[in-house]
Amino acid sequence: MDKTQVLLSLAVALFALGLVGVVVRRNVLILLMCMELMLNGVNLSLVTFAHQAASNVGAVLVFLVFVVAAAEIAIAIPIVLLLVRSKRTLDLSAYTDLKG
Amino acid sequence: MSLLTLIVVLPLVGFFVNGIAGNRLGKGFVSAVGCGLPIIAFLVTIKCVLDLRAGGYVPLAEGAYTWATIGGSEFGISFYFDRLSAVMTLIVTGVGSLIHIYSIGYMHEDKSYARYFAYLNLFLFFMLLLVLGKSLLVLFVGWEGVGLASYLLIGFWFEDMDKARAGKKAFIANRIGDAGFLLGMFVLYSTLGTLEMDRINAAFSASPLPAVSASLIGVLLFIGATGKSAQIPLYVWLPDAMAGPTPVSALIHAATMVTAGVYMIARLAPIYVNAPEASQLVAFIGALTALFAATIALTQTDIKKVLAYSTVSQLGFMFVALGVGAYGVAVFHVYTHAFFKACLFLGAGSVIHALSGEQDIRKMGALAKKIPITFATFAIATAAIAGIPPLAGFFSKDEILWFAFASERGGSTLLWAVMSFTALLTAFYMFRLLWLTFFGRSRVDHEVEHHIHESPLSMTSVLAALAVLSAVGGFFSIPHFLEPQLALPPVPESLHHYETTLVAIAVAIGLAGLAGAAYVFGGTGDRAERLRERFAGVHKVLYDKYYVDELYDAVIARPLYWISDRVFLRLGDRTLIDGTLNGMAAVAQRTAGLLGRVQTGSLHFYAFLVLAGMVAVVIWSWRHV
Amino acid sequence: MIETFLQNLDTLLLYLFAACAFIGAALMIVLPQPMRVALALISTMVFLGGIYGLLGVHFIAAFQVLIYVGAVMVFMVYAIMLLDVRDPSYTRIYSKLLVPGIAAGLLFFGALAYGLWHALPSAPAPAGATPGASFGLQQFAAAFLNEYWLHFELTSVLLVAAVVAALAVIKVSAPKGKPGDPGSPSPPGSSPSRKT
Repeated sequence: MDKTQVLLSLAVALFALGLVGVVVRRNVLILLMCMELMLNGVNLSLVTFAHQAASNVGAVLVFLVFVVAAAEIAIAIPIVLLLVRSKRTLDLSAYTDLKG
Repeated sequence: MSLLTLIVVLPLVGFFVNGIAGNRLGKGFVSAVGCGLPIIAFLVTIKCVLDLRAGGYVPLAEGAYTWATIGGSEFGISFYFDRLSAVMTLIVTGVGSLIHIYSIGYMHEDKSYARYFAYLNLFLFFMLLLVLGKSLLVLFVGWEGVGLASYLLIGFWFEDMDKARAGKKAFIANRIGDAGFLLGMFVLYSTLGTLEMDRINAAFSASPLPAVSASLIGVLLFIGATGKSAQIPLYVWLPDAMAGPTPVSALIHAATMVTAGVYMIARLAPIYVNAPEASQLVAFIGALTALFAATIALTQTDIKKVLAYSTVSQLGFMFVALGVGAYGVAVFHVYTHAFFKACLFLGAGSVIHALSGEQDIRKMGALAKKIPITFATFAIATAAIAGIPPLAGFFSKDEILWFAFASERGGSTLLWAVMSFTALLTAFYMFRLLWLTFFGRSRVDHEVEHHIHESPLSMTSVLAALAVLSAVGGFFSIPHFLEPQLALPPVPESLHHYETTLVAIAVAIGLAGLAGAAYVFGGTGDRAERLRERFAGVHKVLYDKYYVDELYDAVIARPLYWISDRVFLRLGDRTLIDGTLNGMAAVAQRTAGLLGRVQTGSLHFYAFLVLAGMVAVVIWSWRHV
Repeated sequence: MIETFLQNLDTLLLYLFAACAFIGAALMIVLPQPMRVALALISTMVFLGGIYGLLGVHFIAAFQVLIYVGAVMVFMVYAIMLLDVRDPSYTRIYSKLLVPGIAAGLLFFGALAYGLWHALPSAPAPAGATPGASFGLQQFAAAFLNEYWLHFELTSVLLVAAVVAALAVIKVSAPKGKPGDPGSPSPPGSSPSRKT
């Protein structure tokens, strides 16, 4: 089994686990963390391809993903906290205001 | 503008003036315009008759307006004045004017005075179109128009639902007949390519005859005539039409409109000369109707209804005359009938006026001394209709009976016997009416009795004029006047010597009717009561008019209503059309509702959909890459 | 024996780190308490950092630990610590879509893995190029600021936007009459909440 294949499989697994976590877990913060997991899986695949093709582009993209993830989490957590404060629960199944 | 067009247009002007401005301009103005214009039309008609005579009776023809040019054929509004038109127009304008004058007195208290005269003038306009029209199309316009005017006038007091319904019934019954008329016109046009009546007559007088069944045309046109002239099976509207004002009954349902069918057949005589089956049908229906209506009239208790059934019966006489080929004689009877029937109806109106609205003859009696002029004119007219010589009715009825017996085109002893029996019944029920209304004990209500008064001059003068005409009108022999145009049917030589016998029998019948009525209804009236009790069952059937209206209702009206309601309304309109539309909307709504279930508001579900979608896309892309 | 072990050390380590990362990720969706889940994620991230290091991109590994673990996860841990333990989501940890979610996830993994294994050519590393060569920090920085300068500027715009958003959140969440209160948002239930 090739190194690349292993790593790519891991990347896909991480991404899939993250997405499944979003679908499956109830806690809002855990949801956010699963989204971070997805980003990590993507990062891994980018790095793997960059390593395989020996080019800079992958690394640059990874760096940009870092920046975006940081910015995103900086805003996402406060939004979640405000939401939790108004709904008074962390359970995502209570957030059905957009129903219909 | 030429004279014939002037005759036709004058009443139309009256309609517009009275219709639009009548209410504002007061009764005097309305009367002046409403009566003046028909009188002027009458004078113009006399002038035209003199012109006709001066011209050696060559028919006058004037085109007024080209209505349409379709393809190669031209349809125009043009007028035609020959002997037949002259007689009819004189009747229409003459008797019409008299009735207009009578209406001044009769309708004096009515609040829709202007509307009444407007409608009456409208009727006169359409009737003149009918009798003066040169083309069958113009005749048909007049035909329909008088139906319309009749509807408007029968339902004149439309606030009363029954009266409005009577107007509707008249219009619908006429319409059914008009379907046959239209079909006849279509056949004529498709075979001859023209609707001009003089050309149609020329085509049917020449030989070889056109390649179409004249009987077919004759029967189809006759169906229209049964509607308009109240023969079986479409006569049912005429008794109900008595809901309208009495002058209307006199003008429309006695003198002019109902004779339109007779005029039409007389005008198209060459077709019927060549259509023996149609003529037989005409004679048969005429005789049947005459007998039928006469039997009903024996028992009716409303003064106007008796006269209505009498009209139906007399029209039957006219159709018998037409059926045996004596067209001129039928027109003669139209002429005399106009006089005495109008006099009878107007006299009835005078009685009703005197009794403040009472129409039931069981509540009349002993009026002869109290309203003498009305009585005298009514008596003269009754004698005329019964066929007592030398009044007008005697001459015309006698001629009809003679040709019913002797004509080679359908006359037979049986027909003569039936018509004579009907004449006996006619005399009997008319004298019954006279006795019960004017003689015997007074059965009038007390309140009404105090107010009995003779009618005003506008009414009595007209009654007198018509009575005089009923008396002497018969001396001018219309059949001979019309003979150059409408030949009398041939009569076998062998039968000529029966002529005097038949005349004697006719006179005897008239006097027998008088005597019989005087016997049964005179004195205290007990004999009438006992007669009624003995024949109670028969009396009931006759009184209820043979239940024809109920039959029509059950066989035609109710099924039609059921079909309209169940099939067309509920099934067709509501279920199919509305249901389809609503169904489509409901489908759209339900689909939208179903699709809306996707929006659960649950983030887990949305993320799951993303996941599932991505799985599908990935699988699809791996397959197709 | 030791030679083979030492010769293939990096491959072995790679597999080890990969397995541990996977286990960490799997734990994430199994553990009930969010603090433990955060720790599992942190461990996954660290192992990923290790993998990056083994692949030769050391500065990326450094950034992974620095930014992801050091900033993002710490922030997340702060947020977790602020929230109530008695929340029902601690006891019922799975949503209603557990089974379909897992099934779809397995399908997803299978489809992608199948594609990756069969569709992509398992290319050997490009001849000659030592993996670490083009991944030096110097080369990276030069490339970043020469060829990809636009992306760099755009990320700075993004960061400015994030700062503005953070300020807006502060203003919205501050109690009335005290604009610009730099305090952290209060725990749920302790202040009158307004629907924002």
